[in-house]
Amino acid sequence: MEGSAMLNGVQWQIGPLIITETVNTTWGLMIALALTVVLTSRNLQLDPGPLQTALEGIVSVFEKSVHGVLPQYTREVLPFIGTLWLFLLLANLSSLIPGLHAPTRDLSATSALAFLVFLSVHWYGIRTQGLRNYLHHYLSPNPILLPFHIIGEITRTVALAVRLFGNMMSLEMAALLILLVAGFLVPIPILMLHIIEALVQTYIFGMLALVYIAGGIQSQQMRQKKNRRN
Amino acid sequence: MELNWSTFILEIINFLILVWFLKHFFYRPILGVIERRRSTIQQTLEEAKTIRSKAEAMEQQYQNRLREWEKEKAAALEKLHRELNAEQERQVAALRNSLEAERERAQVLLERNQNQARRKDQEAALERTVRFASQLLSRLAGPELEAKLVALVLEDLTTLPLEQQENLRETLTNTTEPIKVASAYPLEESKRQTLQAAFHRLAGKNPNVLDFRQDPELIAGLRISIGPWVLRANLQDELSYFAEAIHGRLE
Repeated sequence: MEGSAMLNGVQWQIGPLIITETVNTTWGLMIALALTVVLTSRNLQLDPGPLQTALEGIVSVFEKSVHGVLPQYTREVLPFIGTLWLFLLLANLSSLIPGLHAPTRDLSATSALAFLVFLSVHWYGIRTQGLRNYLHHYLSPNPILLPFHIIGEITRTVALAVRLFGNMMSLEMAALLILLVAGFLVPIPILMLHIIEALVQTYIFGMLALVYIAGGIQSQQMRQKKNRRN
Repeated sequence: MELNWSTFILEIINFLILVWFLKHFFYRPILGVIERRRSTIQQTLEEAKTIRSKAEAMEQQYQNRLREWEKEKAAALEKLHRELNAEQERQVAALRNSLEAERERAQVLLERNQNQARRKDQEAALERTVRFASQLLSRLAGPELEAKLVALVLEDLTTLPLEQQENLRETLTNTTEPIKVASAYPLEESKRQTLQAAFHRLAGKNPNVLDFRQDPELIAGLRISIGPWVLRANLQDELSYFAEAIHGRLE
């Protein structure tokens, strides 16, 4: 337990809650992100400056990506997916700062995000189609497939969490090993690789979450269209 | 690799808080301003489209007006040309008439001047002729010629038409004035008596007193005045009569 505590960076404890380095880093990222957002979006103008243009560009890219997959529910899904992308990007890149570790190399954090994706799939599905219609798709095309649907939901969520965790963890471990073997000759290429990997994993996690949510919404819509045709 | 439930729960809470925060303080304002900008751009585009359509309509109207102006201008020019041509023809005709009238007047004036000049020449020629005849007759005149003229008077008195004879007789009967007999040369007593006898015969009674006088201007011959009657048988009166007759014919 002590080894795992050191691995997870346990720093302090509030009652039953153990505050690890992952949580501390997450809070720090949240505070930094919140401050940045508050400071930059206080005085938005129709004629934007360079900073507002950058913010609008980020949001526009998010909106366009979500709209490409879910054109009817862009405004509903955008906050969740956009926040995933922003948070994961900052979290993945935070390990570039000396002394910090990326929260996403902690399986607890990636599991929490994957669990939120799992919940959001059902949340958006039920919200758009209703509970009965949403649950009905688990019985289609045949109720026999219900266990496979459930297994698929769980495995893809676990895969989502483990994929991100494994990539980020292995990247840090590989960087540490290379640093130990090759000294100071290779940090910069490794850092470049780190950045690319962080961007790729962020995009993959967010897009998979978006696709899962879209699947939960659109499967119902397709079934309804099919029923209306019949 | 171990799952820490505290971290798991706290990360869920953290992320939900972050989603709420960013939704209210980041996505919503940014999307709002983007939407406002889009609506503003859309409104501007619609206004521009409206302005463009108005401009096109105005341009079309302007083109129509321009075409109408061109037609009006062409019509006005054609009318002006027609009026100018008519005015030119009118003025040319008036000028032609004026020139014709002026030429006719000049022609008349020329003819008149020519006639006047011709008449002056003829009058001058006549005057010279009369003067020449007067001079010639003055040189040829004499008592013999006067005697012949007296004889001619006596013959004429006997051969007067009856109507004139009656008139003369009546005049001789009614007047008491003397009969004035003017001659260029002194009349012989025999010719005086012959004249008195001729008047006696014509009047049928003793004639009035004959008043004989001499008038050399008569050149040759007699001029007998009986009341309103004047019997001319002298060269001076004949020449005057000749000149007046020629002059009357010239006029």
